[in-house]
Amino acid sequence: MTPAGKMFDAVMHLLDRQVLDVDKMPVTVADDIELSDIPAGRIPAGAPAPVITNLLAGSVLGTRMFGGRPPSSRLNRIHWKYVADLGTALRLNIRGENLDVLWTERWVQQRIIGRIPGGRHDPE
Amino acid sequence: MSGKGSGSIADQATGKSSANLSILGVALGILTAIGGFVDIGDLVTNAVVGSRFGLSLVWVTVLGVVGICIFAQMSGRVAAVSGRATFEIIRERLGPRASLLNLLASFFINLMTLTAEVGGVALALQLASSVHYLAWVPVAGLAVWLVVWRVKFKILENVTGLLGLALIVFAVALFLLKPDWNQLFNQATQPAVPEGEAPATYWYYAVALFGAAMTPYEVFFFSSGAVEEKWTVKDLSQSRLNVLVGFPLGGFLSIAIAACAAVVLLPAGIGVTSLSQVVLPVVEAGGKLALAFVIVGVLAATFGAALETTLSSGYTLSQFFGWSWGKFRRPVRAARFHLVMILCLLVGMGVLATGVDPIKVTEYSVVFSAVALPLTYIPILIVANDPEYMGEHVNGRVLNFAALLFMVIILVAAIAAIPLMLLTGAGA
Repeated sequence: MTPAGKMFDAVMHLLDRQVLDVDKMPVTVADDIELSDIPAGRIPAGAPAPVITNLLAGSVLGTRMFGGRPPSSRLNRIHWKYVADLGTALRLNIRGENLDVLWTERWVQQRIIGRIPGGRHDPE
Repeated sequence: MSGKGSGSIADQATGKSSANLSILGVALGILTAIGGFVDIGDLVTNAVVGSRFGLSLVWVTVLGVVGICIFAQMSGRVAAVSGRATFEIIRERLGPRASLLNLLASFFINLMTLTAEVGGVALALQLASSVHYLAWVPVAGLAVWLVVWRVKFKILENVTGLLGLALIVFAVALFLLKPDWNQLFNQATQPAVPEGEAPATYWYYAVALFGAAMTPYEVFFFSSGAVEEKWTVKDLSQSRLNVLVGFPLGGFLSIAIAACAAVVLLPAGIGVTSLSQVVLPVVEAGGKLALAFVIVGVLAATFGAALETTLSSGYTLSQFFGWSWGKFRRPVRAARFHLVMILCLLVGMGVLATGVDPIKVTEYSVVFSAVALPLTYIPILIVANDPEYMGEHVNGRVLNFAALLFMVIILVAAIAAIPLMLLTGAGA
């Protein structure tokens, strides 16, 4: 964790970092972050500051680079409560296997790689 | 590459001292580094250069070896200390746009190199069997995939590295050819553009040779290999020794290849357009026995590099997107990583099946490698100086000075590569 009071730059220390699960299995790269609702237009006096709610991954990378905004239902999210440690990699406090962001990995695993002989064994 | 010589339970039981084991580990690491240094790019480029320019470009090989020593060692250190491999760092430091461009360039060049290496394996098999190389391409591709699929990282690295040592036959052949050593020495120490060659062509091949010695995939492979073998700070001195002794000796093999071509092909006016001309001087010096050795050496060198480039295609893409990767996991635990490698091998084999000349692919791949060098090496240098990643293991001043000096050379070579290629008609 960043020591209290030290500058924390989300672009430098959060975005584009590798995300590892509790067993150090790579999950994704933090492609973007989602903030709690910011009201459109003028911000009422005394409104609470926005906070990070989710790490985002997947197709959001394309829109981050080239503009636009994917529909909210299409975002692959990892809730901020699962983020355990911010270092040279972001560590989660859960196993990544069943997270939505890993659907392509599961698909390739079940449909292709797992069906090739030897795919489920350790290398020799 | 790493010998984890710390005493295991087995050593204690047999009473062997761990010192002995680590000497063996060091020897193995160095031998592997020598044998693993040369690939199809080095073989072809050195022979072409030797047959046209004698030893007047040896200084480039020396420069390239020093460069790869500096940066391979640095990327290995970054991976061992931070646990982050090179392309994870490129993504994190350059952000998505610049690193995506970098990925596209690196991935494309690596795919080109992969194609050249698989073609090299097929050509070596043709040399051994007189069966046309196109018939060998599927065999070579399948063999590379099977090894990547089923064989442990350490075994694949050590076996190809050790068999690659058979390329020492180039050095032996040079002695058997009884060359005029004074003349070779003068060519090497007083470089000049030979008569009949344009200066632009000389510099074009200088860039190609530099690209061949410093190919970026070596750094992707080296840093990811450090993660595969679970290096820690303790393994750093061993890895430094492997690199600092092994790579220069590998560079010595490169020079021997160029020297053989300079002694036999240059006076006879033979140009290098196929693998048979690369090995011709060896056969002239040592006959069939030497031919057998050189075939084993070329086969091991190209096969080893085909494995490294195949793995590198998986490493770069997986690290950019944050996918699970690595041979230390079962294929199902790194599914997309393995799928990428299968697809890349199929593409490489498909390209070769069109009948494109693998030697030409090789010649272009080393020049494009030179273009891509700064993309790979600048982020490594930046992170190697970042205490967040490296703690007390950040670069020292001397290393930074040398690395910055090299960065200037790398930038010049990268900028000059394409104009020189167009100007000289790719060295024609």
